[in-house]
Amino acid sequence: MINAIEINNLTKTYGDKTAINNINLYIKEGELFGLLGVNGAGKTTLLKILSCISKADSGKISIYGKDIIKDKSEVKKIINISTQETAVAMNLTVRENLLFIAGIYNSDKKAGIRKADSIIEVLSLSEVADKKAKVLSGGWQRRLSIAMALINEPKILFLDEPTLGLDILARRELWKFISEIKKKTTIILTTHYLEEAEALSDRIAIMVHGDIVISGTSQEIKKTASTENFEEAFIKIAENNI
Amino acid sequence: MRTLNFANRNLKELLRDPLSYIFCLGFPIIMLIIMSVINKSIPPQANMTIFNIDNLSAGISVFGMTFIMLFTALHISKDRSSAFLIRLYVSPMKPSEFIMGYTLPIILIAVMQCFITYISAFIISIILGSSLSIPNMLISCILLIPSEIMFIGFGILFGSIFNDKSAPALCSIVITLSCLLGGIWLDVDNLSTGMKNLCQAFPFYYAVKTGRMALSGNYNYDDMLKSMIIVFIYMIAIYIISIVTFNLKMQKDQK
Repeated sequence: MINAIEINNLTKTYGDKTAINNINLYIKEGELFGLLGVNGAGKTTLLKILSCISKADSGKISIYGKDIIKDKSEVKKIINISTQETAVAMNLTVRENLLFIAGIYNSDKKAGIRKADSIIEVLSLSEVADKKAKVLSGGWQRRLSIAMALINEPKILFLDEPTLGLDILARRELWKFISEIKKKTTIILTTHYLEEAEALSDRIAIMVHGDIVISGTSQEIKKTASTENFEEAFIKIAENNI
Repeated sequence: MRTLNFANRNLKELLRDPLSYIFCLGFPIIMLIIMSVINKSIPPQANMTIFNIDNLSAGISVFGMTFIMLFTALHISKDRSSAFLIRLYVSPMKPSEFIMGYTLPIILIAVMQCFITYISAFIISIILGSSLSIPNMLISCILLIPSEIMFIGFGILFGSIFNDKSAPALCSIVITLSCLLGGIWLDVDNLSTGMKNLCQAFPFYYAVKTGRMALSGNYNYDDMLKSMIIVFIYMIAIYIISIVTFNLKMQKDQK
């Protein structure tokens, strides 16, 4: 399996505060990679840099061999993001939202309709396809948000706390949804729900004060922390920087 | 292509918001009716012509534009606060496509608003026994386009800087200023020299004046050209400031 993302010596500071501290990381093609950490650990900053929204102070990131600074426009064609906020056009229907984003990624009308229909079918959005986004529940809005991020068929999808604020049933529904899209796309997921990261991720990295203090499968992390439970392992690592 | 796609989305969003109709269309028409009724009760001896239908309708057209500014500001600030713009920053969209995508549909709405206000004024003028000239209405509509772009520029500026809670407050200051200093509700030309100079330092006075002169068929070309040039300069300046601010804000949001 090739590396979809390679991060070398990445650093980002905001004034005196170091948000990302010289990190090195690789993410393989087809992986669902979980990024964990307490608030302010640097997860969202890292996601912003990876998705070309923000610039690092130093270091290098390659996405499928392309430098995200030099080849920014090429990289932007193969990535997409679903932010913490749902970020959908509320007065547009689900279908219109999908067609709009398809058009932004230069799909012509026919191709846009084909892609929207396909995503609606694959992600089971048919029952709400012609409803305006503002009348949908939080769970459906999240699904639409992720569907919008998939319309350009990205090779890499960034999911920033996708289940934030959802009830347990909606969250479990979204897990199934993410598992479906995982088959086709490399996913980088940030979340505060540890059971979510454990259930969905192939590998997990834990960030503390801008450093990646550990990365590996949930089993490997539990083994390193000498605990049976992933939550305990996370707390031990986050508190003690094991 | 991306610009038109984004413009189409913005047009749909705005046209599907019932508040757009209430504030951008309903409110100016209601004011037109109310002020016409008030004007009827003013005795001719008062020699007050500010609420005559030709003066009133041009003033109310500019008044309507201030609500276009408010809606532009609200629309952009909501896109920012809902992270909708973040989604688009990740896409291959360029800064110029954002600006044009916001401006084009709002110009269309502003022109339609002006047109509908004039049609309403035309109907009222017939009821009142006078009749507005249709060619003058069309000319006035066209000559007010730079003013519309200027107010859209204000909207982009406020929407780029402020959030959806504070942008309306800032816009209401401009709405009040444009009503008072533009001479929409009072005859600025009969004020004291100092007050008149103050009004003439702002573009609102010239926007209203251009619309009124065109609508009344009072083609004093020097005066009209001067008003149009001043509005045009303000339009360019405010629009450039709004583009620069939007781009700076875009860069700041990405830090």
